[in-house]
Amino acid sequence: MNLTKKIVLAEDNSILSKLLQFKLEKEGYQLLIANNGKEAVDLIEDNDPDMILTDIMMPFISGLEVISHVRNKLDRNTPIVVFSSAGQEEMVLNAFNLGATDFMSKPFSPNELIIRIKRLLQ
Amino acid sequence: MLEFFQNSIDSLSSMHIIIKICIYLSLVLASTIFLSLIYLKNLRDRLKIKRRIEATYQKKYESDLIEYLYAGDDETENEQQQKIVIYLKKCAANRLKRKIIIGTFLKLKNDVSGETADAIQKLYYQTGLIESATSKLKSKKWDVVAKAIRELTQFEIKETHDEIIKLVNHPKKQVRFEIQKYLVQLFRFEGLEFLNIIENELSEWDQIQLLEILNKFKNLQLPDMSDWLRSKNDSVVSFTLKLVRIHNQFGVKDEIIALFNHSNPEIRVEAINLVNHLGIYEAVAILKTGVFERTLEEQIAFFKMMEEMSMPDDIEFIKEHMNHKNFYIRISVMKIMNLITVGDDNTFTINNIAEEYQINTNLTKAS
Amino acid sequence: MNITSTIIDSLDFIFFGFAIAAVTSYIILAIISAFETVNYMKKNSFVNYTEILSSSISPSISIIAPAYNESLNIVENVRSLLSNHYVNYDVIIINDGSKDDSLEKLIAAYDLVKVDYLINNQLPTKPLRQGVFKSTNPAFEKLIVVDKENGGKADALNFGLNISTNKYVACIDVDCLLLEDSLQKMIKPFLESTDEKVIAAGGVIRIANSCKIKDGKLLDINLPKSSIVKAQILEYLRAFLLGRMAWSKLNGLLVISGAFGLFDKKIALEVGGYDTKTVGEDMEIIVRMRRYMEEKKAKYRVAYIPDPLCWTEAPDSYKIFISQRNRWTRGTIETLKKHKKIGFNPEYKALGMVSYPYWFLFERVAPIMEILGLIYFLILIFNGFVVWIYAISFLVLAYLFNVLFSIITIITEELTYHQYSKKGMGWQLIKTAFTEPILNHPVVLYAAIKGNFDYYFNKKIKWGEMTRKGMSSN
Repeated sequence: MNLTKKIVLAEDNSILSKLLQFKLEKEGYQLLIANNGKEAVDLIEDNDPDMILTDIMMPFISGLEVISHVRNKLDRNTPIVVFSSAGQEEMVLNAFNLGATDFMSKPFSPNELIIRIKRLLQ
Repeated sequence: MLEFFQNSIDSLSSMHIIIKICIYLSLVLASTIFLSLIYLKNLRDRLKIKRRIEATYQKKYESDLIEYLYAGDDETENEQQQKIVIYLKKCAANRLKRKIIIGTFLKLKNDVSGETADAIQKLYYQTGLIESATSKLKSKKWDVVAKAIRELTQFEIKETHDEIIKLVNHPKKQVRFEIQKYLVQLFRFEGLEFLNIIENELSEWDQIQLLEILNKFKNLQLPDMSDWLRSKNDSVVSFTLKLVRIHNQFGVKDEIIALFNHSNPEIRVEAINLVNHLGIYEAVAILKTGVFERTLEEQIAFFKMMEEMSMPDDIEFIKEHMNHKNFYIRISVMKIMNLITVGDDNTFTINNIAEEYQINTNLTKAS
Repeated sequence: MNITSTIIDSLDFIFFGFAIAAVTSYIILAIISAFETVNYMKKNSFVNYTEILSSSISPSISIIAPAYNESLNIVENVRSLLSNHYVNYDVIIINDGSKDDSLEKLIAAYDLVKVDYLINNQLPTKPLRQGVFKSTNPAFEKLIVVDKENGGKADALNFGLNISTNKYVACIDVDCLLLEDSLQKMIKPFLESTDEKVIAAGGVIRIANSCKIKDGKLLDINLPKSSIVKAQILEYLRAFLLGRMAWSKLNGLLVISGAFGLFDKKIALEVGGYDTKTVGEDMEIIVRMRRYMEEKKAKYRVAYIPDPLCWTEAPDSYKIFISQRNRWTRGTIETLKKHKKIGFNPEYKALGMVSYPYWFLFERVAPIMEILGLIYFLILIFNGFVVWIYAISFLVLAYLFNVLFSIITIITEELTYHQYSKKGMGWQLIKTAFTEPILNHPVVLYAAIKGNFDYYFNKKIKWGEMTRKGMSSN
């Protein structure tokens, strides 16, 4: 049985997602990278991850729809952390209403994110 | 056929000047078309190559940056960092490559804070990019200066403050705005000192962006805003009213009440809008007398404000305007009388409790 | 004989005089455009749109999109409208009495339910049919769907003006693909101006035929095979890059494309909204708003954003193409006639003395002059009066001028937005520049003449129908 925890990361900033991938893999997680909401939904359906990190503003399908898909259509309790930008307070509220677990407001510290992930996956 | 040629020759001799001009012009146009086509071909090729170079280097610099940051996690691997710095420094001598490097740095820096952001700033110094930006501040071209200030803002370089402050009265609007953003982004509310001396108007666009920058910072010591509310520059007053709203500055209530008689009607409306936001109960009576001598916008704002501020005593006064000819005033009155409830999304329900009042305004019921 | 030659001389003078005036005005407009384009690119090269996009204090905008029998693509189109990156906006879809299943599709796709909604009936419109709908899913909270009785596009837009609670309204065609940053780019001139009031802003329309579109996003720009569509691409580029840019500099824009325009709602309401009696409601409202501002003696401008923000499908059959142009012609005639008071009237300053006369001469009268010129030419041939070398050299000159103008347009596009970047596209566009005056122009001319004919002799003509093939099919 594979004990490595799987994390799906949906983020359209390629450098940020690459940096987070490096940092999280170093911590021993397996990362699945999606560039947009649609890819994220596909990855989640195929891999049943232990955690989902998603940006709110993304091409094709927004982070809100990803959350809604996981909670309502797939009916899963996977922890979901959303990334928001300044001024998206209303969307963060919506994200929580839809069932998001936690949020990080951009710009955020990658190390702080890692600490939160570790805590959520314990 | 013969006749045709005969005609042509006849006409050529009789009208030859016009024909000549036509032929010359046609030749000029044809050769211009030919030259344009060559230029177009050349242009497309150049753009294609440029795009390819950009894509390649962008990828390269992205992985260099990641590698630099990753290496930074272990204190020992600094040799590798040094190698990346030297490489990037060399690339930065080229204008196009410098642009790509800066773009790459910023793409990450805009989304991260803490030690990663500091590491990127350190790299900005190490690669000598800061010197090229600082030297551009002396340029005679306004767009070069504006871009340099912008870059220094994005990398949060505070040490260029004294040099930039010298340009605060730059004749070009775009440069002045970049300076304002620099001051606010790096020095927060202290940077707003420029409001005391600004002579030109701050456009709505400028105001929103400055407020947005300030909004990113939490728990800051707020400055005293009362002087700005008395400013002779209307745009400073309107900007400050927005600040007052965002930061709930109840302390300036006297200045706000004074603005009810400001010469600019938009400022008067904004001041009325703040009454309920801040809960300035003493202002209600002041506004109530002579409210119908005010502009329609002010009247609408007054009734809107009363939705939250009206006391039982006010009901008699409010009730008289049930059939006001303005839709928004009617709606406000009905809300105050609790005849209808309107949601944030503008959907409504009719409350049946108050039988004594007839709803005779034409509400469009959708269902 | 003497009288005949005098007539011929004076007719020659009129036709050539007109041609020279047209050519001169094109050259002047192109030069102004060039300067303005350089200026715009410089000012906007370092504008940061991301800051305004996320700001919740940015002004509110309603996108108003009337839909009539758009069932084929409506769900997809709405998704694209909902994915704009602006924060403070809503999307109002006005289902204008569609006879198909548009409404049912929307209800199913977006979990819509009927609601009681406050509507300020400031403008008279056709009444609601099924009512106002909102989604129960918070992910679609920006969406408002209105189902009303059929009243035409202008009537539907007026309903949108009534129901919108926002400060600005973006009136668009529902099948338009708006790029994600379109709203913040369009709102910028309204917010930036301090000394004059911006009453409306118009965007550029680009043609999306054969482009790859997925989930409301423009993924890949292609040139279609159809020559009629390629000719339209070039025509649009010319009109927007060289024409409107110059008019915006002169503050003389008389028309904002109905496919994408942003308005100050208060002023749009003050002038009485869209005119439901014209087929050219998009041009008419701008002329009326300008006239209103002139009469109020207020400083104002109609802004223009040259960035390619709105992509739409162009007709690819001659029948639909002709009926579209026929409608445009009638719209122009109706608008100019309705506002003839401003024409050549110095009280309306540049609007009356420059914009109106230009539109009158080179949009309204030009096709008529051209057809009269052709008839005159045929008569001359018939009577053996034609001096062939004279005629041919003029024709060649006109043709070359046309081609050169198109090529300058293509170069401008390369230097600014460079959207047609794939290999072979440049060659395709150049080929079109050479064939367009011969293949496409006669059709445009025919449609304009038919429009004139229909306007004067065929009053009961129905709206031209636009059959959609579905942009997403690729």
